[in-house]
Amino acid sequence: MHRINRRDFLRFAGASVGALAIVSPARAAQSARVMVIGGGFGGVTCARYLKVFDPTLEVMLIEPEPQFVTGPASNYVLGGFRALRRITLNYDALQTKYGITLIHDLVISINAAKKTVTLKNGKRLSYDRLVVSPGVDFSWGAIKYYDPASANAMPHAWKAGPQTTLLRKKLEAMRNGGRFLIVAPANPYRCPPGPYERASLVAYYLKRHKPRSKIIILDAKDDFPKKDLFMDGWNKFYPGMIEWVPGAQGGKARSVNVHKLVVDTELDRFKGDVVNVIPPQNAGRIAYVADLVNDSGWCPVEARTFESKKQKGVYVIGDAAIAGDMPKSAFAANSQAKIAAAAIVSELQGRTPAEPLLLSTCYSLLAPDYGISIAGVYRATADGIKLVPGSGGVSPREANLDFRAEEAKYAIGWYASITADGWG
Amino acid sequence: MQLRRIIFGVCTVAAALAGCETPSESQHAFELSDAAQGSTPSGKAAVITPDRARNLASGCFACHGPNGRSPGYIPSLTTLSAADIAAKLKRFKNDEVSSTIMGRQAKGYSDAEIDAIARYIANLKR
Repeated sequence: MHRINRRDFLRFAGASVGALAIVSPARAAQSARVMVIGGGFGGVTCARYLKVFDPTLEVMLIEPEPQFVTGPASNYVLGGFRALRRITLNYDALQTKYGITLIHDLVISINAAKKTVTLKNGKRLSYDRLVVSPGVDFSWGAIKYYDPASANAMPHAWKAGPQTTLLRKKLEAMRNGGRFLIVAPANPYRCPPGPYERASLVAYYLKRHKPRSKIIILDAKDDFPKKDLFMDGWNKFYPGMIEWVPGAQGGKARSVNVHKLVVDTELDRFKGDVVNVIPPQNAGRIAYVADLVNDSGWCPVEARTFESKKQKGVYVIGDAAIAGDMPKSAFAANSQAKIAAAAIVSELQGRTPAEPLLLSTCYSLLAPDYGISIAGVYRATADGIKLVPGSGGVSPREANLDFRAEEAKYAIGWYASITADGWG
Repeated sequence: MQLRRIIFGVCTVAAALAGCETPSESQHAFELSDAAQGSTPSGKAAVITPDRARNLASGCFACHGPNGRSPGYIPSLTTLSAADIAAKLKRFKNDEVSSTIMGRQAKGYSDAEIDAIARYIANLKR
């Protein structure tokens, strides 16, 4: 699948006769090799911008899957107005247009001291700098009895792909007058406004096809991003259809019964016709393999560069990183990817990395022509990454329908741009 | 369409800063005029090096498309002069023009950063 260059060939050849235990990653006369693990928004954007910032770098991207289905816009699939194939991307342009070496394999281990990565196929590759962009894994069992097998009966659909299709099929099969339960996690988790956009767009579908149905959000939290804007929109478009049960009113899920489609919260029992459990989350598997995670389940990083505080020469970006005020969003991953790429290039060229400025904007649709947004501009401080006072915030509450329609168009435009900025 | 004039963004990076110094000569850079926003954790005023101008501008690509060429509804930046970009961003920042989101974004930047972004984008190879 990928090119094996001469020095890897020699390394494997040496390893095969047991003669080459250690290969120095120092390559005075050669371009440096930066390896990126994880082909989501963070990983592809970092690989791409490493090449933009220094075209002489050798950049490898390791991702087991041949395609990537985006979390952003996956609620459009549930709403019935976008096909899954239209949120499915491939890595072809990264290889053919941008000179990045794609390796479709799984990373088994990382040795940060020796700067090597071992793949499932047995190959060991050395690097000069490593970027880890692993996204999230689910904290199975944090909600009692919700394990990987449960996701067939109660899909999470929080990693887009077959789970998205599965949840959509269950909604299509639901009776008119049915009850759709969404279990929403405590902070922090991937895509903070996502559960509420999901409720909105499922309501958009149900209103037209099964208008007697209800949606109940069982939430571990007492607040969520853009709450007033969401609730205004729900009252306007889906009156009486969406009920939000905050944690303080017993919304926090404690256990599930997948056979009975029941969720038990701290105060009550809810029976659904279709149940979507968005479980609590932690950093993706590779972050644990590389010992990048602290007790919180996430990865501490330097605010200015995203270099791991636990492993030198390893950078953690995207949802897995502890990034202060920044949300776990695709936009944040894109922004962090560029800052990490720039820091790596600066360091390899003997310059001090520049002071970073970071961005995130999250659009949510409440209907295909009604959008709202939350934005932030962030800087590195001695106390970590902080929102610049006075910047960012949410769409105005009093805006008219033209404004919401314009933001809905920007939401679609944003998707086109940010995916092009990563996958080409 | 006031709202469609929500422009600003950025472009590539491999391209040289046309008309500017070479990177090795240009490390002197300029002081940030708005020290409050541009100050470093150590309290020293941040300088806008070529690296930093490039990084700031690259942030804009997420919405305005790689190289400032938008593939979708969000406006491209490729036809704008440095003066246009800087003036628009400052009007967004100071709420002198209505916008959906650019006002919220522009408030996060100092005027010196805006000027550096504008110069960088306008100087990219088109």
